[in-house]
Amino acid sequence: MSGVYEGLTVVELADRRNQWAGKLLSDGGARVIQIEPIQGSPGRWCGPFVDDKVDPDRCLDYWWNNTGKQSVAMDIGRDPARDLLRKLLAGADVFLESTRPGTLAKLDLDYGAVGASKALIYASLTDFGQDGPWRDLQMNDAAHLALGGQMSSSGYSDPAATPIGGQGHQAWHMGCAFVLHGITVALFDRMTSGEGQYIDVSIHDACAIGTEAAVPQWMYYGSTMYRQTGMHANAKRQPPLQLPTADGKHMIAVMQNFGPRVWERLIKWMDEKGVTGELHDPKYNDEAFRMSEYRTGNVVRDAIARLIAASNGEECFHRAQSYGISWGLVHACEENYDIPHYQQRKYWRSIEHPEIGRAIPYPRGPVACDEIGIEPRRRAPHLGEHTRQILQGDLGMNEKEITALAASGAIR
Amino acid sequence: MNANIPQSTKMSAKSPARPGVLSGIRVLDFTWKTVGPWAPRLLTHYGAEVIHVERAGGWDDHRYNAAPSIVSDEPRAAQLPGMKKVYADPQFNTVREESAAAGQGPGEKKLYAAPYFNTLHHGKLAISLNTKNPEGLKLVERLIGVCDALVENFSGEVLSSWGLTWERIHELNPRLVYMSLSGFGHTGEWKGYRSFGPTAQAQSGLSLASGLPGKPPAGWGFSYLDVMGGWMGGLALIQGLLKAKKTGKGFYIDYSVTEGAMTMVGTYMLDFQVNGRRTRRPDFPPGNRSIFPAVAPHNTYRTAGRDRNGQNWWVFIACETQPQFEALCEVMGQPGLALDPKFATNEARVANQDELDAIIGSWTRARRRYGIMQRCQAASIIAAVVQSAEDRVEYDPQLHHREMHPIINHPEIGDVPYEGYPVKMSRTPAFVHGRAPVLAEHNGYVYGELLGMSEAEIASYRERGVI
Repeated sequence: MSGVYEGLTVVELADRRNQWAGKLLSDGGARVIQIEPIQGSPGRWCGPFVDDKVDPDRCLDYWWNNTGKQSVAMDIGRDPARDLLRKLLAGADVFLESTRPGTLAKLDLDYGAVGASKALIYASLTDFGQDGPWRDLQMNDAAHLALGGQMSSSGYSDPAATPIGGQGHQAWHMGCAFVLHGITVALFDRMTSGEGQYIDVSIHDACAIGTEAAVPQWMYYGSTMYRQTGMHANAKRQPPLQLPTADGKHMIAVMQNFGPRVWERLIKWMDEKGVTGELHDPKYNDEAFRMSEYRTGNVVRDAIARLIAASNGEECFHRAQSYGISWGLVHACEENYDIPHYQQRKYWRSIEHPEIGRAIPYPRGPVACDEIGIEPRRRAPHLGEHTRQILQGDLGMNEKEITALAASGAIR
Repeated sequence: MNANIPQSTKMSAKSPARPGVLSGIRVLDFTWKTVGPWAPRLLTHYGAEVIHVERAGGWDDHRYNAAPSIVSDEPRAAQLPGMKKVYADPQFNTVREESAAAGQGPGEKKLYAAPYFNTLHHGKLAISLNTKNPEGLKLVERLIGVCDALVENFSGEVLSSWGLTWERIHELNPRLVYMSLSGFGHTGEWKGYRSFGPTAQAQSGLSLASGLPGKPPAGWGFSYLDVMGGWMGGLALIQGLLKAKKTGKGFYIDYSVTEGAMTMVGTYMLDFQVNGRRTRRPDFPPGNRSIFPAVAPHNTYRTAGRDRNGQNWWVFIACETQPQFEALCEVMGQPGLALDPKFATNEARVANQDELDAIIGSWTRARRRYGIMQRCQAASIIAAVVQSAEDRVEYDPQLHHREMHPIINHPEIGDVPYEGYPVKMSRTPAFVHGRAPVLAEHNGYVYGELLGMSEAEIASYRERGVI
């Protein structure tokens, strides 16, 4: 397996915003050197931890987001460490950072100062980008989902209930997707031009275009969306599409067309469960009629709700899918480990963890493709695990110099 | 209707693609619905020529979400020949059959460019092609020969039913990168399963990761996986083109949106593997609170006012540090709160979160949401209004400053605001350069220039219903 980022050296300033992007570069074969503060990346301290015991080398969120990276712990606020970082950047292809705008300029590490190496791709992923009236506001992932529009569309049909932002740092993921777009396009360009460039990505900008129809609905129709439990927000209130199953789970009964073959099977299934009701009326054999009723009325929808309520979740999912109906079952992510389909697709990657004395299966990358080859390759580093190795191997420092630096507290 | 808008648009003999870093890259785009179109669209911002193929008799259904618009006049009968306006709702995707029945042919009549179609396809070229016709399939093969990438999000069997197996595609053009974009991937026992964004959200575990504890999942009130799933697909496509540029060899990318989604909840999967903790548990998801790390306050709070639909307005507030909490107590005029043993430390605040949330909620309840955000932010406290689309488009000064809603002219509906593209690059700027194409607008360029057909040939293909 040779990944798409094979042969590249990336220097990443540790931050919770950018670490997933650095992970995908690392999983794609790049050598990613993460520069951490002496006390460790903020990503090491958030948990969950192994056995719930706080330990920066045993934070599972850090494990997930930093596979295969190398860790150099140093205080870049101090001159000797800053010089080391500058030297590392001179040999790097990509610099990925998420500091507050202006921070690196004060340290003489902004693009103007370190872009002298013309081939360097310098990528800043920040809350609001490098300019604008909100540039310096305080944010976290949930705040981005609020300000960016995801929350406004998500939650419950009860108009008094709070909007909801999903878990899992999805705002940062959206920002990371676009910073990777920029980096990858810049690499494409550099193959011909030989030159790097500066990339400015704002997480708020990314979130703001990530609400599907909400913005076009407002721009073109002036409609405000209603939040609806477990389904799309819409300009009009609609009957529920997230429906409870007999075994206490939920199906997402996405709206779709029921052509003659699909309809025939659906009715047979409803008959079996004794829930068909008035759908036996021949008028429902007319596709245009039944689809119109389905879109605007309650007869078809109610029968579907009864069918799902009379079926177990897994049965419902597989039968629907085997009939060509795109319904989905609300799974817990961990339930996917047991599903043969993903095993058949060799989706899991076993990563050794000496911290717990065993290997654990990690999800692969987003695509099945050997040529792109994005998949976790090694565990995340321990804090400062590669400091000495890189100072010696990459920067040619000797043992004595390194010991002196460590004693001064500039490195760990 | 605006008098300046031309009543008909001639088929263009030119590519609309502007010069950019991906100039010279040509993508054959067989995508439809939502998740598919996003992926290749993201290449248009860099100058790639993305040729969106609409199948004769099966025009992309997002074109048909016609309804009265506030940026143009209501579409007139001339724009909607024989159309039923039943699909004002973007998620009803079954118009294909009815539009086919309406008997529209390519190049004859203009179709109203529906809002979301504009978003999904702006900057692309549009051609029409009848893939049910053997001659049409021959044209697909010729197009494959002149493109660098092919993207589709059909069900697994569609392309092979056209005779276009990966082996055949590779034979036709050994340099071409082919990406299939599907809910579950093209191998494994679920390869025939169908999926929309919400299906993949449900199956991956993303839906369950959103909601209040003890309530049904709130999920995502839009197809997060059509949006983010499309962006990741666009990334895979650029990665594929980068690799192919290095090696000169084409290859196949099997992108499963559900598998991509599981990489967005990886932490929870490791938590299960290591600690045996499941996301299906009574206290998960935690609403808008934060468990990892456990910090409080971290929640949405009701403010004064309601939106146009009568839904309450909310502001999100979080204190991740002790100084932030002390500042919040000052801002609320309750400095004593920071000394109360129930709230003096983060640990205590997490333990007494319900009570703390009630105190903050009663402070926000009578106040204006942007005022709260401004006062908190001035004291370096995390605070963000829960902004709707209206809020972002009309009032968000940051998005305005960053030009995230550019205006682009469209020949049918005039000047139209679009959503921008969030990557700013210093040397090879990305741009939002084009409106969505009108139906079959680029048949002339693609069939004439790229495939070298004469006008007579093109006319003959059209008469025979091939294009």
